[in-house]
Amino acid sequence: MNAGKLDILVVEDNQDDLELAMHALRREKLANNIYVARDGEEGLDFLFCRGAFEHRSFDHPPKLVLLDLKLPKVDGMEVLRQVKSDPRTRTIPVVIMTSSKEERDLVAGYNLGANSYIQKPVDFDQFRETVKSVGLYWLVTNQAPVLEDSRHLAGTAHDPR
Amino acid sequence: MGFSKQFDTPIEANLRRRVSGGFIVAVLLTLLLGFSSWRGARVAADDADWVAHTYAVMETIELTTKQVIEVETSARTFALTGQELLLAHYETMRGTVTHDQATLRYLTSDNPNEQRLLDVLEPQARAALNLAESMVVKRQQTHISPGAAEILETERLIGAVYATTQEMHAEEMRLLSQRMPKTEAGRRLTSLIIVVGILVGAGLLALARLAINREIDVSARARAQIGILNAGLEERVEQRTAALESEIIERKRAEETLREQAQVLDLAQVFVRDMESRVVFWPRGAEKLYGFNIREALGALSHDLFHTQFPEPLETIEKKLLETGVWEGELIHRKRDGDTIVVSSAWVLHNDNQGRPARVLETDTDITQRKAAEREIQKLNDELEHRVARRTAQLETANKELEAFSYSVSHDLRAPLRHIGGFSKMLVEEFGSTLDPTAQRYLERIQTGTQKMALLVDELLNLARVGRHVLRLQSAELNSIVAEVITMLEPETEGRQVQWIVADLPAVDCDPVLVKQIFQNLLVNALKFSRRRTRAVIEVSCAEREETGQTVFMVRDNGVGFNMKYVDKLFGVFERLHGSDEFEGTGIGLVTVQRIVHKHGGRVWAEGEADKGAAFYFTLGAEKQAEKSESRSNGATAGGQS
Repeated sequence: MNAGKLDILVVEDNQDDLELAMHALRREKLANNIYVARDGEEGLDFLFCRGAFEHRSFDHPPKLVLLDLKLPKVDGMEVLRQVKSDPRTRTIPVVIMTSSKEERDLVAGYNLGANSYIQKPVDFDQFRETVKSVGLYWLVTNQAPVLEDSRHLAGTAHDPR
Repeated sequence: MGFSKQFDTPIEANLRRRVSGGFIVAVLLTLLLGFSSWRGARVAADDADWVAHTYAVMETIELTTKQVIEVETSARTFALTGQELLLAHYETMRGTVTHDQATLRYLTSDNPNEQRLLDVLEPQARAALNLAESMVVKRQQTHISPGAAEILETERLIGAVYATTQEMHAEEMRLLSQRMPKTEAGRRLTSLIIVVGILVGAGLLALARLAINREIDVSARARAQIGILNAGLEERVEQRTAALESEIIERKRAEETLREQAQVLDLAQVFVRDMESRVVFWPRGAEKLYGFNIREALGALSHDLFHTQFPEPLETIEKKLLETGVWEGELIHRKRDGDTIVVSSAWVLHNDNQGRPARVLETDTDITQRKAAEREIQKLNDELEHRVARRTAQLETANKELEAFSYSVSHDLRAPLRHIGGFSKMLVEEFGSTLDPTAQRYLERIQTGTQKMALLVDELLNLARVGRHVLRLQSAELNSIVAEVITMLEPETEGRQVQWIVADLPAVDCDPVLVKQIFQNLLVNALKFSRRRTRAVIEVSCAEREETGQTVFMVRDNGVGFNMKYVDKLFGVFERLHGSDEFEGTGIGLVTVQRIVHKHGGRVWAEGEADKGAAFYFTLGAEKQAEKSESRSNGATAGGQS
């Protein structure tokens, strides 16, 4: 099913963190439709269907974006700001997953419209538990909004895939 | 009178006019009365004369009549008898008759009627006398007695005389009857005039009395008024006198003050110069300050005399002085002995009578020592400020470094830690069965170390966060905070016998998040160090400290306690009084407590005894907390209802 093809966009530059996260997601069978962007710019290109991703359509947004804050090129806050200020991407759930527990980051994140802010637990068991619950919540429990315009466009636009 | 008139008021002039009028009327009346009386008297006298005259006339008439008759009778009788005696009588009477007739004519000369009757009478009387004569002569010569015819003739003549005299008498009686009522009327008029005059005079006197009485009243009132006015005047005079006396005293005092001021002025460090800066007044005070005596100073140019150094150009100063009348500033002057002094100088401009600037009064205060002291203080202040600035900069740098450090710890240090833990865990899980027990044990050590370090990092971060935390003071019910912490700690009391004794705690103005951290750290410690007691007793209470009015909070346990020897080490970072094998921990919890207490302006201290237990005390600020609890609970109630 095309719509279910992409579930999660992970924007993460740290290979270790990424591998731990993928491990946790795999364990919960949530890792089938994941795309990983390694910096903020790539993440934005993906979400706004441009550059290497211009073949992508806004009709098929990811069900969840897991966003790190410290990123090369464009940092996480800027990615969040652009996503949440554009009507085409505004409804995509963005969950900040970061090592920082700085209050200023937390406040800034929510002010920009982050759907959730999670500090990565040092303890691996807790980490796995967190990733699992976030994934299950946004992919299974949460009811995504129905995009009327997107559906209409889906009928006319050709999906290259 | 004329003199006094010029002071008359209109009322008095009117009165005066009326008095004059009355006076004139009275005088006229008196004159009239006098004249009338006089005239009355005159008329009465005249009338009386006339009456008397009439009586005289009547008497003469009767006398004449009688004489005529007597002459006739005596003549006839002689003729009849021839008696010589009768003849003599006849001779005497005959002369008298003629005389009386002349008298009668004289007396009645004013009355033509009587004159006419006299004209009748005189021939009759003559005829009678002639007859008598003839008879007398005849007798003497012949001695013949008259015949009857002669006697009848005699009778007839005497009858005629008698009739005429009777007529004259009647005429006089008529006159008398005319004159008598006239005289009476004149007398009556005179009497009436006199009576009326007396009455009018009495009336005028009565009026005069009334007027005089009224005048007396008026003048009495006026005198009374004048008395009052006089009293007022006297009082004013007295007051004025008193005022003048006190004025004189004041003036004397002022003179005394002036004299004193002059003496003081002589001691003052002031001098006066004219507009060319020539000294014109040089008291001893100035001499004392500058050393120049009066001979040297008077007439000298003051700025030259003192080698004055001005803080701004002299032209500017003089401009200010002329514009505002004053100038104040600091000058450097050279004294007679060559020493320079700094003076605080105040210039005041004095104008002459025409308002032109004439003199300048300069008051100088020697502030050389003060300036030196100020410079010294300034220098020290500058140094101090410099040091403070340097120290502040250092501290700010340190603070920033610390902030950067904590951020990097949180972000960078935690990540690798998570990786170590994560991958070692995955290693155990996925390849554990293929590893020998030693390798497994090593992996477990890695896991434990990672956890310890994670705890350490979290607590350090917490401490740093407390340090940077901005206090948000609000009323907080401490009992509910403590209850919350105890509930949170419940999992750790599993399988243990723990008795919590929590007293009634007040509501306190504080940052509840941080205060919760205090109780959390202290209760965690209490629980931890009483672990070996079969029955742990943990007590939370508070007490009022009378000397400071502060509330002291206490957390006490019956745990292993500590030796008071090491009490100073309790609140040092990473300082631990027990081995980590014995009691796990990082040594950061109490430091965090201390930092929070200090942020609230309070104090924290501990008491303990090895193996007996430990007690931690702290205060929150210098305010009297009990008073605040009242208003707070009210506020909480209101908040709960909204």
